[in-house]
Parts: sequence; structure tokens; C-alpha cells
Amino acid sequence: MPRASKGVLVECDPSIKAIILKIDQDNHDYIVEDLDDQTLVIKETQLARLKVRLSEELANTQQMPEESGSD
Amino acid sequence: MNAVDGSDHYTKTSDEPPPSLLTIILDTNPHAWALLSPTLPLSAAIANLLVFVNAHLAFNNANRVAIIASHTQRAEFLYPLPAQETSSHTNGSAPQNGFDNDVEMADDGEPTVPPLSDDANHYRPFRLIQTTLLTALTTLLKTTPPSSLTPTTSIAGALTLALTYINKTTLSLSTTTSSTAPNADTTLAAETAPPALNPRILILSVSGDLAHQYIPIMNTIFACQRLSIPIDIAKIAGDTVFLQQASDATRGTYIKLDHPRGLLQYLMMGFLPDQTNRKYLVPPTAVGVDFRAACFCHRKVVDVGFVCSICLSIFCSPPEGAICLTCGTHLQLGEYGGKPVVVARKKKKRKNVEDGKGKDAT
Amino acid sequence: MSTSSLRSFEYLEGLPGTTFNRLYKQPSTALAIFRRMLPHLAKSFVMALLYISRPMPVTDLEAWVRPDGRLERDNAIDLLERLHILTATTKPGKPRAYTLTNPFAASLRLALTGGGTHKSFGVPSNISDDDHITIPELDEFARRQWEGVLGYMVGSTGIDLANNGVELSPGVQHLLKQGGLVETRGRRVEITQDGFAFILQEVNAQVWTMLILYLQNAEALNMDEVDVLSFLFTLGSLELGLPYSKANLTPTQSQMLLDLGDFGIIHQTTPTSSHFHPTRLATTLTSDSNGLRSSSLASSSDTTKGGFIVIETNYRIYAYTSSTLQIAILQLFTRLITRYPNMVAGKITRESIRRAVSMGITSDQIISYLTTHAHPQMLKKQPILPATVVDQIRLWQLEGDRMKATPGYLFKDFNTQGDFEGLCRYAEEIGVLVWKSEGQRKFFVTRHEQVAAYLRNQARRG
Repeated sequence: MPRASKGVLVECDPSIKAIILKIDQDNHDYIVEDLDDQTLVIKETQLARLKVRLSEELANTQQMPEESGSD
Repeated sequence: MNAVDGSDHYTKTSDEPPPSLLTIILDTNPHAWALLSPTLPLSAAIANLLVFVNAHLAFNNANRVAIIASHTQRAEFLYPLPAQETSSHTNGSAPQNGFDNDVEMADDGEPTVPPLSDDANHYRPFRLIQTTLLTALTTLLKTTPPSSLTPTTSIAGALTLALTYINKTTLSLSTTTSSTAPNADTTLAAETAPPALNPRILILSVSGDLAHQYIPIMNTIFACQRLSIPIDIAKIAGDTVFLQQASDATRGTYIKLDHPRGLLQYLMMGFLPDQTNRKYLVPPTAVGVDFRAACFCHRKVVDVGFVCSICLSIFCSPPEGAICLTCGTHLQLGEYGGKPVVVARKKKKRKNVEDGKGKDAT
Repeated sequence: MSTSSLRSFEYLEGLPGTTFNRLYKQPSTALAIFRRMLPHLAKSFVMALLYISRPMPVTDLEAWVRPDGRLERDNAIDLLERLHILTATTKPGKPRAYTLTNPFAASLRLALTGGGTHKSFGVPSNISDDDHITIPELDEFARRQWEGVLGYMVGSTGIDLANNGVELSPGVQHLLKQGGLVETRGRRVEITQDGFAFILQEVNAQVWTMLILYLQNAEALNMDEVDVLSFLFTLGSLELGLPYSKANLTPTQSQMLLDLGDFGIIHQTTPTSSHFHPTRLATTLTSDSNGLRSSSLASSSDTTKGGFIVIETNYRIYAYTSSTLQIAILQLFTRLITRYPNMVAGKITRESIRRAVSMGITSDQIISYLTTHAHPQMLKKQPILPATVVDQIRLWQLEGDRMKATPGYLFKDFNTQGDFEGLCRYAEEIGVLVWKSEGQRKFFVTRHEQVAAYLRNQARRG
């Protein structure tokens, strides 16, 4: 008999998924199911926290190009 | 916190289907209704029709309706009424300007009827139509002199009125919506853009013989076909060849009511869905459309006739002197009248007589 | 269906069945729900069933719909069942058949034919002529009040808003806070992401959002939510420019009149007067949103008739307006450089768009705002906005989109490939499937009710 489980489907690039996996490594409290290299299912309650963690992580690792600012 | 999440950026926007304009042609021939009164009196039919109209208006706030009476010798608007002396500051529903030489139609709640009794139990637009329709119909029936009581009805006139009204409403709508892009090539826009209004015509037909109006009816049918306006027919009594053709040619619905008492259910199920919904629904099909035509000379329905080779006019017998009555061309009848080699002449003659008989009986 | 009706849907679906029962007792509510909330095909179903004496067998209804309309049919029926309008009954010896539930069907019939003593379409009041308020006056009142609310919300963006003399009542301020549209930091009011998204919506959608907030808040104020809802639907069926009597209103509804006056949804000369006028905001509640866009309200909120914004291909933007509200909205996604008495000039930059996106504004909202307010000179061009600008705004949004999250349900552990494929195909047909994997026999859907029902039917059959 098939089973259904509630969650949030997250679709992202493999690179972003790698970061999510890394975040999950600490406590294993985000991911419900790892589907493939671009999709995974996470707990609904954790979505907001994951987003915060992800943007922190991105801010640390990525440099946005500077605005040229000429008017 | 949503800086990394693109989920909300893809919310779907589904479009509302365009509003529809329903033009109802009500055959008000007193003769035919009198015959029908044991099964379906006119008052009951009107009550059913009103519920149907309200249901149509309930579908969408922008839906519109027009009701035209096809009377014995003329066709007349029952709703909306041509405005007589509408006071100008009545209502916010923008009157359609830009048609200065036109007859202003009282539309959408401009009270041409005396102020309605205050009734909080009835949705006001519905009440307005009810009052207008009933008043107009009573006036129409009262002013019908007994001398004009013929068993026919002027469907052709009513269809023409319906077409003009549809045309006017469509124009007024497209000018209000396309005014934002005045110089854009409108023809292109009109072809690509979804229609602002879905017009359709519904004929409630009770009287039979329409053969004498063959040409004008066919012309309106072709006009509807061109404008892709479906003509729906609710055949309550009698039977006419051309109305079947009308719905067939315009992809409308033709229903012959086997139980006239159940008019409302026929209307609600068969005729209420608009063009948008008909895409999804299986139409109540009419089997076997009668494609016979009427001759131009005696307005008789013919099985086999003569056709002018120049203007395609149809005649039941060769016109006098072999000159076409429509375009005046002298026609070569060839061997007509000469003894056929195989076919017996008797058979054809008998059929003609039968047709004539059948017509007299209706 | 516009966004606003979707929102109200979600709220309505959450109500318990008994609430529906009470709601549907009012013909005006039945009519409004029918008109505003139902998908087009569902309306045809309801009307076909409304005057039928016997329940309609499920197979008959299925035969009525073309095979390629199956998706629409299932969606329509599913929604009708969720709104407690349609039920499928099985009687012994008879096939499963659909009927309309009773308070709804009876009320809708009453709405179509008139009659009864429910008085739910509003009691017009006879008042002397000097009390009469013209439609332009009502429009002006509604616009002033509503812009007052919007102005209060964007007031925090740094531009000093002259509040047009509208003082927001504490109730409205509280409501905005409750709904998460603004936050108070100390004494300052700051707009939230939801608030920004709210401001860029159409007026009709804004009004609905606000009213849903009001509803959710109603219980805290000891108001009966059925009372509140049915009064809102009554308001939607009133006629603009006519005075209505307050005599028949419940205490809750009289209280509502005061609050709705703050939004500009209704107008009354004094709180104690015996009648009120609905404004255009009220009378278009249950009509489609297009009705409002063409109305004078939408256009009069701009200082010039028609649009006022000019954008050049070099991303420069010129807005011919002196309305502080409009300037504040523009500032949400542009970098304003110069302000003149009748015009502001600025530039759309990557930074300004990224900032807007991070606040929850989407590129589509920005583009549609720019399009609807484009200057007549811009409207002569086709397309209206320069293609480079439109593309770039979309691209700037896209570059920040790192992931897409869809709440829903994961189905897994299928016994056979056949089971998986059958259910998966069904989910795809009804349009809830988001992701699937043949190899892993798993798929993800947004709604599970219909899929689960299908699964149960399968189990019963097989």
C-alpha cells in the first residue's frame, strides 16, 4: 500500500542542494527525503529556518558584483 | 528571509472567461401561445424565462442580456427598452457614448420604468429586468389589434434587431477596452486578443411556418455564421426547416422540447452554458437537419427545384418566359419540358401536390 | 479567478460545515458565492442541478462533459464538494448521484426568483434630497479613505506623506498590524513584505485581503463571523448611489458599518444617521475585478487621467505625478534621483529591483504596475514597455531565485509499477503533480484529497 507524507518539495541547483545537505548534516532535522540531485523534500516547519540559514551561507560564500552606479 | 526562495514568483494567473451577451428572441405570436396554453401557458414560459435570464446574469457580473419579441407583424425590444426621457444623472454605469445619432438604449439598470417598489428580498438587477420585461410585454400584447393575428411571426426582423444590438454592444465594449491603445493596429489586436464579449442568440420558437421569410432569415444566418454568433433554438411547438439550419450553420444548439412543461430544465441545462463552457460539454445533439430550401417565387419548401445559374435563386417551377425573377437573366431551359427518356413524369407531380397539402395543414 | 478570490477560498474552505449551513441561509450569500467563488464550469453544473427534481447520477454528469474536459470537471466537482454545495449520495439500489445541498440550493433559487422575507439584498431607505450623496462624491470619499490606508502603510519608506487629512482609526491600525502588513518598531510604523505585495495588488484584491483580515479578527472582537460574512456579501449586491436603511441590521453589522467607513467601503454622514451609502469599493466586491479597473476609482488615484510613467530603454523612469502615495510606491523598486513639483525622475537598477524582490515584490507585479500606469505616450508603442527593461527586471529577479519550495505530499512505497503509474497519471490529469520519479516510484502532489479518494476507489474496486 502506498504511503503519503507531508512536506515541502524543494527544487534547486545541485550547488544549492549541496549547501542544504551541509546544513542538514549537523542535526538531520531538515530533510525528509532526498529525491535526486535537484529535488528534495524537507519538513514544512523548517522551511523558514532553512531559508535563513541558506541566505546566510550564500552571503558568506558569494560576492555579488558591485553596482556600477553611473548616472 | 525570502531572498533565496523563488516559489512565490510563479503564481499562476488564470483569466476570467469573457462575459457573454445573451440575446433572447421570444416568439410572442398570440395564436401559437393560445394553442399551447394547455401544456405551457405564456405566463409560465415567461416565469421560466426570467429565472433563466437571472441565472445567466448570476454567472458573471458583466454578463448582459437583451430580449426581443418576435411578434406577428413586427419585432420589438422588450429589454432593454429604447430610452425615452431618461434623466441623465441616474446611475454610474457609464452610458455608451460615441453613438450620438443612435437610439440610446437604457442599459444596465437605468430606470426607464417607474421607480421600483422597495423590495429587499430581490436582487435589484433581477427585479429591474422582471419589471421591464413584464411591462413591455403587457403593452405589446395590449396594443396588438385583432386584425393582425396571423399564425406567423417575424423572426427575420427579430434576428436583424438582435444582430444590430450585438454589433452595437460589442463595438461599445471594444472602444472602452481598446482606448488604451489608440494607434495600435486594431484589426490585428481584434484578431489576436480574446473577444471582449461572447454574444449568442437564443430563439424560443412556437409558431411553425416561416417559409415566406426564407431570404431574410438565411441572410441573418449567414451574418451570424460570419460573426461566429451561435444561434440556439428552443423549439417549443411547430417545426420549421430554417431554424434547424440556423443552429446547424452557426454551431448552435437545437432542442425540440418533447415536454414543454419542463422548459426551465431545458433552458438551464441546454442553453445556459456559454461558449467557454460548451468547449467542455457534450451538446444536446439534433439528429437529421432538414436542409431543404424555399423557392423564391412562391415561398414554398421544395425538395427539388430550379436554380438560376447566375444568381443562384431557387424556383419551384421554371419562371415565366425563362427570365430569372431576381436578376433578370434570360435562362436557357434546354430540353426542359421535353419528354424524358426514362423517368416517369407522374411521380414528380404527385410530390409537389403533397408538399402543398402539408403546408396548408400547418 | 483572481488572486483575491483564491485567498478568500482558502479562508472559506477552512470553515466548518455548520458555518456553511448558516452562511447559505442568506440568498445574497449564496448568489455571491456562486458568482465570485466558483469556476466557470462549476457554475454550469450548479445551474443544471438547481431545478432538477431527482439527484443526477454521477455517470450522467460524466457523460455530459467531453472526455478532454475531465480535468476541469474533476476540479469543479472537487471544489463544489469542498464548499459544501454538492454532495454525492448513494441510496440502496440506485447509482451514486449528485445533489445540491439544501440551504444553498434553496437560497440560490430564492435569489433567482425573488421573494421570501430574508431582506438580504439591503433595504433601500427613503431620504430627503438634501441628504443625497452623488456618485462622484462617494468615489472621492472612497478614494480618500483607501489612499489614507495605503499612505499609512508606505509612510515609513522615508517620504513624508501628507495624509490628505485622513486620520486612521486605531481599529484600522490594529488590523494592519494583526494582518502582518505593517510592524511597529518603537513609535515608527514599518511596512512588511506582505504589505508591499499588498500595495501593488489591484484595488479589488486589496479590499478582499483587508476584509479577510477583518474577518479573522472578528472573533476577537466578539463578532459572529457568519454575521460578518453575510453582511459583506449583502454589501456586494447593493447598488451604487442609493441610500440603504440601517433598520434591519444586527448589532454586529451596525458595528461593522463604523469600521467599513474607515476603509471607505461604505459612507454615512454621521455614525448615528439612519442610512448609509455603499461606495464603489463595496458594490464591486462580488463582481470580477475588471469591473473596478475600468471604474473611475482606479484611474482617479493617479493625478493624471490614464498613466503617468515614462520608461526609456536606458532604465530611466519619469513619473508625472505629485501624489506622495504614488511616489512612495515607485520608490519601492526604483532609485529616485530628482523630484520636481509635478514629476519625479529616477532609474531602475539591479540593486533597486533586488531590494524589491527581497521584500517580496515579484517582477510580474512591478511590470504590471508599470504597464497599468504607463503614460499615454508609452501606450502608443507596441509593446508598451521597452522589451529590454522588462527582460532585465525578470532576469534580476531570476538570479536570486536559488530554490523553489512547494508544500504538498510525497507518495511512495508503491507495490507495483502499475499501481504507481495509474495513480501518477491521475495526479497529472487533475493537475496536482509537481514531481515524479519512475525509478524510485515516488511522486509529489500539491493536494492529496482527490488522489487519496482515487486510491480508495481503486482499492474498493480491485
